[in-house]
Amino acid sequence: MHERLSFHIKRDSILHNLNPLTKLVLTLTILLIAFTFPWYWTPHLLVLVAIIPLSLLGKVFREFSLTAIRLILPAAGFLFLMQAFFQPIGTNVIFKFYFLDITQESLMFAFRNAMRVFVMVSAFTLFLVTTHPSELMSDLTRRGLPGQFAYVIISTLQILPQIIAKSQTIIAAQRSRGLDTESSFFKRAGSLIPLIGPLVFGSLAEVEERAIAIEARGFTSKHAKTSLHEIPDPSFDQMLRWVLAALIIISIALKLWLS
Amino acid sequence: MAFVNLQNVTYKYPLTKTPVLQNVNLQVNEGEFVSIVGPNGAGKSTLCYALAGFVPHFFKGEISGSIEVAGKESSKSTLDEWVLNVGLAFQNPFNQISGAKYTVFEEIAFGLENIGVPREEMKSRVEDAMALTGIRDLADRSPYSLSGGQQQRVALTSILVMRPKLLVLDEPTSQMDPIGTREVFGTIRKMAEEGMTVVLVEHKVEWIAEFADRVIALKDGSVMLEGKPNEVLTSDLLAENGFGISRYTSTAREAKKQGLWKKENLPVTLDEAVEGFALTLPSPQGRGESGK
Repeated sequence: MHERLSFHIKRDSILHNLNPLTKLVLTLTILLIAFTFPWYWTPHLLVLVAIIPLSLLGKVFREFSLTAIRLILPAAGFLFLMQAFFQPIGTNVIFKFYFLDITQESLMFAFRNAMRVFVMVSAFTLFLVTTHPSELMSDLTRRGLPGQFAYVIISTLQILPQIIAKSQTIIAAQRSRGLDTESSFFKRAGSLIPLIGPLVFGSLAEVEERAIAIEARGFTSKHAKTSLHEIPDPSFDQMLRWVLAALIIISIALKLWLS
Repeated sequence: MAFVNLQNVTYKYPLTKTPVLQNVNLQVNEGEFVSIVGPNGAGKSTLCYALAGFVPHFFKGEISGSIEVAGKESSKSTLDEWVLNVGLAFQNPFNQISGAKYTVFEEIAFGLENIGVPREEMKSRVEDAMALTGIRDLADRSPYSLSGGQQQRVALTSILVMRPKLLVLDEPTSQMDPIGTREVFGTIRKMAEEGMTVVLVEHKVEWIAEFADRVIALKDGSVMLEGKPNEVLTSDLLAENGFGISRYTSTAREAKKQGLWKKENLPVTLDEAVEGFALTLPSPQGRGESGK
């Protein structure tokens, strides 16, 4: 059973120790530059100068490259193929497959778009791997994000695996009473309907109890909340965020100016 | 003036026809450890919710009469103020885990964060509370990886750390083994001796007899009987009304009919039973005290 839904890997690295908001801004900056910067090779270069160095800086290069090869590359590759085949641009046909043609232009277009998506997903993966969700949320709450909003995000990450585990318990219980889970698809789908009731209504009843439990612990208290963990935000972080913000503004301005 | 004072409290949930609580009158003194017993559907949990402010602030419904704790009137207060004085832990430990925290230590600190306790004070209060309930070794575990009994201890600790004046517990040891139950009852007893007022709903009557100051028997939403644990728990009324009875009480009641129980009071605990039967039953030769 999964204990929680989280990609976080605990390490002691420069990237891990950055303020969560700085990392979030960094991620968004990389993403924006990849998508808006006019130079063709921008996303490709970003992989070399941002994504890979950051994964080394965060001491997660091995885990990150495994994820990239297993998940992100195949997805980007699929996107590349789809766009290369179906993008109706260009005249310089270099490959023909029945009614589908690949032109040089569509190939270039697809290559860049796939790279952009690769950079986007990679940047977010690095962010999630090096940032503990509760640290992110307490930092954002301290900066004014409503506590209820943060609670919904964090508790969903933790409670979903519990609901999955519960559905498995219900299925196991019903199987022991003769529920058919091995014959044809439609038969199985039909026999799952009676399971929805206990799962949904059970979960709703739990929500009420959980609401009572957190209310009993002052969840809606009007006091200003405090936080157990101190999340440092040194001046280096603040400076870095200004630099990143400048980069964001430049790339947006460049985009507007050129279009 | 009693610390907890319920006057003619009648309460009906929004979707039910008959009141769950009917003319409940209840007084608890400061630092007193009171236990509530009753068959299923007697209104025990609703009474807990009423003391903790959730009836009527959370559940709505119709309420009459007055509920006072520490000189404050529930109907004139709001829930978020009320919970600062009254702590509630209930039966199902799984649903009492906030889901917002990744370790037991953080989980226990959750309530203190909510009410704005400064960080250093928060840490020492969490440490103290964990030491009190004996869960220090769980501090870095995920609350979801714990057993039911351990989760119940975490739930209890999460409330104790808030230092409520009145502690309301609805079967807080239902998933614990006897050793765990004894430890938790010991902790609750200690809290009461330090001045915390405790109202505990519990089926384990032997433990109540040993630890509680007073017992209130609830039946169909009304107080049927109240008094010293031994008097209430051995009353014939309880046996006739479907309450949980200690096996030692039932045994001695039968024995009394045969003239084998000479003491005035029936026993609730094993020790009382052994003591009483020692007066009438001959000790078998050669085996001496082995029955004890």
